[in-house]
Order: sequence, then structure tokens, then C-alpha cells
Amino acid sequence: MPLEAEDVEALRLQRLLSRVLVVPVSLVVGALARLHFKYRLDENIDALRAEIWAKLDGHDGPVIWAANHLTLIDSFLVYWAVFPASRLLEERRIPWSTPEYTNYYRLGGPVQSALIRGLLYLCRCIPFLRGGEDAASDSWRQKAFDKCAWILRAGGAVFVYPEAGRSRSGWLEPRRPKDFLGKLALEVPGAKFLCVYLRADRQIATTSYPPKGDRLRVVADLIDGALPGETNPRDVSQRLFDRLAAMQQEWWRGSRMARNCAGNDVVDLKGALLRENFSEDLSEADPSWLGRHLTERELAYLARQGPAGLFRTFWRFFCAKEACHKALGRAVIVVPNGAFREIEVDLFRRKALHLPTGLQLDIRFTDDDEDKLHCVAVLRGGYIGDETAEGDVLWTVAGVPPAASPGAFVRELALDFIASANDEIGSAAKLALIEDGGLPGVLWRGAAQDWSLSLSHSGRFAAASFMIS
Amino acid sequence: MAFMRKQAVVEAIDLNTITPEDAERRITAGVKKYATNEANYAAADANTPYLGHIVGMGIESSNLADITMSIERQFLTRMTAKIGAGEGSADFKLAPGELGKLRILDGQDALAATPGLSVKMLMDLGHMPKNDAYLEKVMSFAYVMATGDGWKTADALKKMAAKAEKLAGAERVEALANLNSLVARAKDYDALLADAAKLAASKSAAYRHDKDGYDALNSELGLTVDKIKGASAGGDAALLAKLRGEEAEIRTRLKMSAAKLRVSQEVAEAAGRRRAIESAKVAEVRAALQAAVSSAAKLS
Repeated sequence: MPLEAEDVEALRLQRLLSRVLVVPVSLVVGALARLHFKYRLDENIDALRAEIWAKLDGHDGPVIWAANHLTLIDSFLVYWAVFPASRLLEERRIPWSTPEYTNYYRLGGPVQSALIRGLLYLCRCIPFLRGGEDAASDSWRQKAFDKCAWILRAGGAVFVYPEAGRSRSGWLEPRRPKDFLGKLALEVPGAKFLCVYLRADRQIATTSYPPKGDRLRVVADLIDGALPGETNPRDVSQRLFDRLAAMQQEWWRGSRMARNCAGNDVVDLKGALLRENFSEDLSEADPSWLGRHLTERELAYLARQGPAGLFRTFWRFFCAKEACHKALGRAVIVVPNGAFREIEVDLFRRKALHLPTGLQLDIRFTDDDEDKLHCVAVLRGGYIGDETAEGDVLWTVAGVPPAASPGAFVRELALDFIASANDEIGSAAKLALIEDGGLPGVLWRGAAQDWSLSLSHSGRFAAASFMIS
Repeated sequence: MAFMRKQAVVEAIDLNTITPEDAERRITAGVKKYATNEANYAAADANTPYLGHIVGMGIESSNLADITMSIERQFLTRMTAKIGAGEGSADFKLAPGELGKLRILDGQDALAATPGLSVKMLMDLGHMPKNDAYLEKVMSFAYVMATGDGWKTADALKKMAAKAEKLAGAERVEALANLNSLVARAKDYDALLADAAKLAASKSAAYRHDKDGYDALNSELGLTVDKIKGASAGGDAALLAKLRGEEAEIRTRLKMSAAKLRVSQEVAEAAGRRRAIESAKVAEVRAALQAAVSSAAKLS
């Protein structure tokens, strides 16, 4: 939809004013990053900039900046990392941003709010509204889209987060692409995507800003926007997300943090000790005991299941929390023993939230029958899978032989299972278990593997899971 | 309501009338039915972990809340008067009052990983008099964790060596590569345990993570407060209500984050303090690690 003349005039004025102040504003951004937040860029940043700018110089057309999103200051950090001071006079290359209106435009009292709005105006921001399903919100989004398209048609650059918000798991999930950037690329066929994956070394969760003093490592690439013949926005977006996901893998190869973070838990529903806080017919439970495990929201959900669903629903909550506890532990987020209420599970949406950090995990019940429950949880590293698509987590659940020690049995089970899942390994004898910071791990060819092995046993059952991404 | 637990009725006793050793015995007896490692349970003392199978009682995580509730059922305390934690907060603290049922509030049991640490928790919370002579015999939470990891490493090495010994050909070669790596890890861990300062430094990494998380959450709160100011000025009632809900949620998360931070801070600090009891326990696990290393070295 074409913009109205007054909108075009307004954009032209904003571009003119921001051009005047681009040098001081850019220098302030760099100074704040270095001096206030004490961030450092990766040692190879000059080489990366040279490579990216060689590609940009070879493309005399519009550019859509697309980056992963974890903190509220990502736009500034990506700009600081990718845009060298020597290029500041190439104003067409300076990207327009699309910050969320409710996050930035109504901060503080009238004076503070006016100052922030002024700064955002000079930083070439087009306020975006992600929430709201009403006609006014739709119209706002359409206008923002049209402004972005107008800037791109004029040969400019816009910066849009493909995920449409900060990732709640700290992981860019390529299987859930959003269509906005695909639509934009189809609207302006000559545009290319400047893909950027930027993350601080110790950035685990979604936060306001990366940990102070951290090193920021960046992976970037310039790729095609819409390809000839492409008409479906989802196809274009999927290609973009796949590239960003590949860059994410590259970033994690250079990280000291574990990339794969998953956990599992099995519950033997016939275990006598699981019943002792319930009435004999399992239709009621000790409220104080429930209250030690479940949050207010979970208790409300439990109440809605009625007496017949009480026992099973409680243990589904428990099983999911234990699986999440292990997945979080892999990311060095220790949930203290017994702090069950730190993790809030949404059984309907199949999500769990670690309340102190705000990290969101996916959960999946792989076994849910009269005898047992088995749940896997994934924080990052791959896809959990569902009824229609295989995920990156493999699992096995088995009965513990009567005379066997469950702890020893589950370890053997895990190694046999991993060996059977990989032709190259073939035999469990080639693997060994290790304990690292209280978590199990696997050695193969003498090296620890980032497979996020998780072990669990309960009563008659033992279960193991690991990630293959 | 007739709970299955009704068979386990016990007569509660005033914590101020018994010795720490009596309290410890009652606590240990109270968890007997949850212990799946009978041998370790039979030999349990103040420093035997509730969880874990190698040196622990083998209690499963599904019974963690039962441990705390078992302690609550067994004792009476004078810390029963509820005092509000602050205006607008539903939280409360316990202060001296009439003799009544013991209550262990959310998060207070985070470090109570052994019967001795459970008694320490009761002392720290003012439910029973502090007894320094008893506490001298109680290993800190940090060392329960650190020695636990050592036992697990030694056990993994012993099992791997036993497995590798029976193999031949290419499988043996691969197994020995793993064994060598395990030996190196066991040696590293032995060296870490030998040096309290190094151990403290390793534990402080978790503390730094938690501190980063706490600081980040604090800044989210500041931002939400700013958004509320903005929404108040704009007179948008619906947005204001939504933001106030967000603020309440962040404050709850902040409280949990602060509790978590206290645990990791305690662990980081305690890892650097080594008393006789910790030295003795460290010596035991180091001996096990060294024995496992030396028997594995014969194979490679």
C-alpha cells in the first residue's frame, strides 16, 4: 500500500535530521558500549567487517538487517559491531530501526519520555506495535510495513528482528519462522538480507542488556532476499531463519557454554511413595504438600482437572519440572533442590518458565500411560519435536530388572542407547560416562560430547535422553 | 481427608528441649522410608546426603518435599508469630511467639542436604539454640556438593576401568582413550579439591551467573517502573493494569532470584573455608580418586 504524501514528507525530514547527527550519535553509541557497559568486540571484528562490507559494496541495492534478539540494546550493539566509523558518511547504508512502541516510547515521566522519543527519532526509528489484534493495531503495523518498504525502495536499509521479539529461550528456533521479513523482501525484490548473530559470551537468557564487561562475538553474512520465482513469504522467511540458525551454530562452536541443554524425567505412577500425600482413592491431596511443589497458576490448573485427574496431573507437573531442572542445570542455572516453585509449567501450551531468569523451555511427554510418565525438556540446542515432526532429542524408557541397581542400570541403558543410535559408534564399549558439575556426560574417542545426556529412574523404570543436534 | 501418610504419625517435640544430636537422630529416622540405599542409610551420620546413591541415602527427588514436611511434623518451635515482610506483600517472616507447629518457609531448606545441615537450618532460623560444638561436625553445603562430585568421578573411573579391562582389539583402544581422558579429569578434580582457593574460584562462576541474572532482572524492573510512569502520564488504564501485573511478576521473580543468589553466594564463600570436618571428608574422597586413578593407570 503506498504511503500518504505527509508520511513520505515526515520520513524525508527524519532522514535529513538524522543525517546531520549521525556522527555524534554513532560515537556516543560506541562510547557507551565501551566505557559504560565495558563491552569488547571479538578479536576478528575487523576481518568480519571487511568481509561484510566487501559484500555490501558489491550490492548496490536495499538491505534488510536481520539479527537474533536477546536484549533491549541489541540494535545499538549490532550497529556498533557491524558499522565502522569510516563508513558513517554513507548515510544510505545506515539502517532504520523498528523498536516496539510499548517498550521504548512511553518510558518514564513526560520529560524523560520526550527525550527518549527525540533520541529514537534521530536514530531513525519507526515505532512498531507487535501486540493488539484490533483494526487500529493492524493499521499501525501496515503503516510501519509500508514505511519500511518505502525506505527500501529508495535504496536504504531497515533493521527488523525476524523473531519479532526477544527469544524467551535464548535460542533462535528455525522451525518457527515469522513471515514479516519474507513479505518485506517480496515487496522489494532487490533487497538483500544482512544476517547478524551477535551474542555476549555469557548471555544465557533474555535480559535488558548483556552482562557488563562481556565480549561480544559476531557472525554475519549477506544473503539474497526474495529469489526469482519466489512468491510465498514463508519460503523466504524460512531461508532467512535457516541461515541465521546456521550462523547460530557457528557462534556456539566458539562458545565455552554447552549448546545443547535438555533434560528428562521418568515417574513410576505405581510407586507407593508417590501416593502417600494423596487420599486412598487419589481424589484429594494434602494442600500444604501440593503448595510446596506448585505455583498459584499450576494449582489453579490442577483444580480445574477435578478429582479424577488430580494424581496424574500433579505428577505430570512434577515430571516436567524435574526434566526442566536438568535442562537448566546444563546451562549452569542451578535450581536448588526442592525449589520446585521456581519452575512454572504450562501443561496445555507445553511450555515451562524458569521464574528467576524468565527462561522458557519446551516440554514434551513421550510416555504418558497408566504405569509411567516420561517427559523431555529442551532449553536450547535443537527442536523438541512433536506429533508431526521428529525433534533433536532421542530418548528411551525401560523397566529396571528386579535385582539391578537403578542408578547403574540407567547408565548402562544410556550408553547402549547412544551406541545403537549412531552407526559410527556401534558399541557401548566405545563410550564412557563422566560426571561434570553434577551432570552426566559422555566421552567418545576420549573427548566429552555436547549431547546433553540426561538420566532418570523412578521405581520400576529408568530413562535416558540425549540431543543429536 | 485420609492420607496414606496417616500411618506415620509422630509426637512432635519442642526443639528447645532436645540436643542437636537428638534432633539429628529424629530427622534421620523420619526419612527412613524414603531411603532407597539401605546400606548407606544404616551407616548415615550428620553428613550423609539425603540424595544420591554412592554415598547418599538414595532418596529420590520426588520425596524432597517430604523430607522438609517430615521435619515439620516432628518438632515444635516458639518461632510461630507471623510478621509481614512489608507493605503490600503477602510474604511473612516468623518471630518468637507461642509454642506451636514448626514451619519451614519457601526456600529456607535450600541448603539442607544432610541431616546435619537440616539441624543447622533449624539453628540458623532460630528454632533451636545455636550449638557451635555440634556445627563443627557438620560439613558445609558447598563441600557436600564438591565431595559428591568427587565420589561420582571416582565411581565413574572405577567402572570404566573395570569395563576396559575386559575388552580387546579396537574396542579396547577406544575404551582406553576414554579411560585416559577420565583419568585426566579425575586428576584435575583431585587438584581442585586439594586447593580451597581454586575450589572457591570454580564455585564463584555459578555465583557470577546468578548475579548477572539478578542484576538483569533488576534492570527489567526499573524499565517496567518507567513504563508505568509513562502509562500513568498517558492515562491508559488497560495498559497500566497490564504493566502493574508485569511489575508484580518481576518482583516475585526478583525475590526468587535473590534467594538463589544467596545460595550460590553461600556456596562460593563456604568453598573457600575449610574446617577440620571438610578437610577430613576431602581427604576421603581424594584418596578414592587417587586409588581409582592408580588402578586405571595400570591399564593404559
